[in-house]
Amino acid sequence: MSGFFENYGFLIVTIVQQALLGLSIYFPLMAGQLSLASIGFYSLGGYVAAVMGTHPALAPLREALGFWMFPLEWLGALVLSVILGIAVGYPALRLRGIYLALATVAFVQVVNVAVLNMPIAGGAVGIFGIPQAFESRLDYIWFFGPLFLLALFLVWRIGNMGRGLAFFAVREDELAAGAMGVAVTGNKVTAFVLGCALAGVTGAMSAPFLNTWNARQGTFDASVTCLAYVLIGGSRSIWGPLCGAALLVSLPELLRPLKDSRMILNGIVLVAACVYLPQGIMGGLAALRARLSGRGGAA
Amino acid sequence: MKRIVIALALVLCAAQSALADKVATPIPIGIAVAQTSNVALFGQEQVNGAKLAEERLNAAGGVNGTKIALVFQDTAGDEAGAVNAFQNLLNRDKVVAIIGPTLSQQAFAANPIADRAKTPVVGPSNTAKGIPEIGEFVGRISAPMTQVAPNSLKQAMKIKPDLKRVAVLYAQNDAFSSSETTTFQDAVKELGLETVTVQKFQTTDTDFTTQVTAVLGANADLVIISGLAADSGNLVKQLRQLGYKGLIVGGNGLNSPNMFPVCGALCNDVLVAQAYSPGAVDKNPVNKDFAAAFEAAYKKGPAQFSAQAYAAVQVVVEALAKIEKETGKKIADFELADLRAALNKSLRTGTYLTPMGEISMAPSGEVQQKDFYVSKIVMNPDGKTGSFVLVSE
Amino acid sequence: MDFAWLLQSLLNGLSIGSVYAVFALGYTLVFSILGIINFAHGAVFTLGAYLTYALAVGRFGINGLLADVTMPVTLPFVPALLVGAVLSGLAGMAVERLAFKPLRQRGADPLLALVSSLGVALIVVNLIQYLVGAEIYSFPADIFGDLPMAVIFQIGGKPVAVRTIQIILFGASLVMLAGLGWFIGRTRGGKALRATAENADTASLLGISVNRFILGTFFISGLLGGLAGTLIGVSFGVAGPYFGVSYGLKGLAVIVLGGLGSIPGAVLGGLVIGLGEAFLPSDMSSYKEAVAFVLLFAILLVRPQGLLGGRLEQKV
Repeated sequence: MSGFFENYGFLIVTIVQQALLGLSIYFPLMAGQLSLASIGFYSLGGYVAAVMGTHPALAPLREALGFWMFPLEWLGALVLSVILGIAVGYPALRLRGIYLALATVAFVQVVNVAVLNMPIAGGAVGIFGIPQAFESRLDYIWFFGPLFLLALFLVWRIGNMGRGLAFFAVREDELAAGAMGVAVTGNKVTAFVLGCALAGVTGAMSAPFLNTWNARQGTFDASVTCLAYVLIGGSRSIWGPLCGAALLVSLPELLRPLKDSRMILNGIVLVAACVYLPQGIMGGLAALRARLSGRGGAA
Repeated sequence: MKRIVIALALVLCAAQSALADKVATPIPIGIAVAQTSNVALFGQEQVNGAKLAEERLNAAGGVNGTKIALVFQDTAGDEAGAVNAFQNLLNRDKVVAIIGPTLSQQAFAANPIADRAKTPVVGPSNTAKGIPEIGEFVGRISAPMTQVAPNSLKQAMKIKPDLKRVAVLYAQNDAFSSSETTTFQDAVKELGLETVTVQKFQTTDTDFTTQVTAVLGANADLVIISGLAADSGNLVKQLRQLGYKGLIVGGNGLNSPNMFPVCGALCNDVLVAQAYSPGAVDKNPVNKDFAAAFEAAYKKGPAQFSAQAYAAVQVVVEALAKIEKETGKKIADFELADLRAALNKSLRTGTYLTPMGEISMAPSGEVQQKDFYVSKIVMNPDGKTGSFVLVSE
Repeated sequence: MDFAWLLQSLLNGLSIGSVYAVFALGYTLVFSILGIINFAHGAVFTLGAYLTYALAVGRFGINGLLADVTMPVTLPFVPALLVGAVLSGLAGMAVERLAFKPLRQRGADPLLALVSSLGVALIVVNLIQYLVGAEIYSFPADIFGDLPMAVIFQIGGKPVAVRTIQIILFGASLVMLAGLGWFIGRTRGGKALRATAENADTASLLGISVNRFILGTFFISGLLGGLAGTLIGVSFGVAGPYFGVSYGLKGLAVIVLGGLGSIPGAVLGGLVIGLGEAFLPSDMSSYKEAVAFVLLFAILLVRPQGLLGGRLEQKV
């Protein structure tokens, strides 16, 4: 059993890490906003942690704080993400649907180019030799795990209080929500910024986890993959992002024995999942449960 | 009954992993390179070189009569993929050493895993600063190109002594190219030449007309390119098509037969800085054999990535043979952990005559390569194939 | 700031822009009918280049399943281009059948089509690599006969140059645009397409078989993608199975800038972004990659329907 965790520890933690990115898209989706900005904040958060963890000027601070440097990095990423999230959110959230998604894609690309041109970010090589919090990759679950639980709790809590009703009202009908006195823009920006903050902190935790950080972390492909976690997992369930990430992250590893053709099969499974589980894994499970209980009742 | 069997199996498994592993026969050597993703252009060349090494070294007796078996695990193009490939090689395939990964960025993420598992890593294509410093089990055989850049400039000055105005172009999003260009730019200063423009591009770019316009507008008589094969090939092609007549010096990224189909006949006369030269066969019988065998197997001259992957396998095999010789103990009789440690030491002693010439690995893991080369591209009349013709040795 | 420089930058911008425009035409067509972004378009575009290569040159390299295989017959370039384009059109239809139609029928979240088309792209790209490897393929230099490599002329004693292949690409994008415009504006099939785009339910009431026309749209989109892929492959080499996918993102900026779903807008958007990149001062070349997206962000804030987009409605 120890061999299993030795081999798949990294993979397990990666699933939780990616599920966090999925959740960061889930927040704005709760208010009906499709944002693909997460990966940009993830990238920036990673850079914050990477710079704070390696910059020579901060060496005394690191020595003084020891392990507490990591929470400080998260805080740095959080503050930056919230400020930038508000700055981007207010103008961008006037857009709807696909237009908002495209504006956030544009934002991520501009961030990428800007980062590549910032000397402090280390150019194309990026930043490496980032101080490690733990020896084993599996131990990083102590970073991502609590954050994931916290994010889940937030989603659940929001869903069960006034704020959640406001989010859902905005999702279902902006005009009507506005007419009923719901602060449409405020709620949209709040949902958006929550997602940005979560992605930023996830990035800050990921830089030590990967030991290196570079501009390739924030690609367009990664943005779409995060969206895929939510959709494949099931966009109406809070467990959806985790299920989606679990499937999509582990799939290439499960297919390893196929060698050269594994990525072809990976694509086939992706298409099949879309076709046969149009409500996502959680939606499929719910339908299955309904059918089973329906049958049970009839018998 | 079933439960007892399962419990027994579990106990056995636990006992198995608690017991120290022996080295398997044939001796497993891990290859973790990018076989999928858009990095596969390089990864597949590495696979070709490594496969040829396995075949030829085994035919020559392997490690004193014991055969080797390469275990391939695809890293794809990202950091997580490289870590997963390394984990598989370390824990399931129980390899004695890992050759890989393809990109330096991947190495920064994956190599610490092998270092913690006390398993030697031999980087076949990682050239960034800071790779050997990752840990005591991390080494490389791919030289960071600090010496060869000035060499190629000197060759250019030999061809045209009145050179003055230099345009520097580089791929900003490529780790190797962006560090190589600083070496080039320093060398330009040292040689007393004038840099008239510095242009950046992306490895994904295809249209370079704006950069070419800047070069032509600056009246450059020498263009220095640091990029990868596809983008640099298009850059050379468009420079020539739009009327640039001066010399072109390319960095190590242009040292690839993949240039040929892209710029075709317009590749002619580009001077290329090389860590490996398929043309350097006169003083190097190993390279002569290798280049001929590669040509026979693939009907194409070897690329630098292939040669370096070949050399990496060769270095590991020779280091293993050295262990047997020094300890008088067969590799198969070693415990895996002991062998990995011994191999790491053995890799760092002595010299190896590889297709790249004589190389050795410093105790830090940094490669020490004796010869670098400058070649000129000479295209065949068909305009699609060509060769690198040595101009310096 | 002399006239020769202005003219050269203008030509450069048109030359880069026509590459984007050629890519974006097939991309925007599917959006104009279905209101869905087809992420598999880049893969079909790539496939088109490989298919034409297989038909016209027919010799494969040293990697993949087809290593060292030579096709028994090869075609001259132009027929190969056309056959390759038709085959890409069929591939486009397969994309619709695999990734889009089943989702429509099951009433899935329209966003899911982004993921399923991405899945198809993954299949196509990796299948290409599995078969012919990731190496670079190129068409012979004399494919258009003995045309000069570039047209160079003097303005005020300074040379201004444009590559011949860029003129061809620019022309091709205009011809494709005109052909598409004629088809949509003047033919019965085109009118039915527009009706489908306007309102699928009404169209089906009018006796238009919506599924068939959607299939037709994907065929034309694939056909245009295949043509574009080959032309760009001729211009820059077929640089591995990912070469088309890398246009996808900028293509997205192009079609949004021009106006999502507007067909002339795709060409205009391409040219505007090309010109934007060409007129960027040369000491700012490191920011070139951001031009398209800064323009995209700006236009979305000011005029979300894009330069030529008419109606703005909620589709995904």
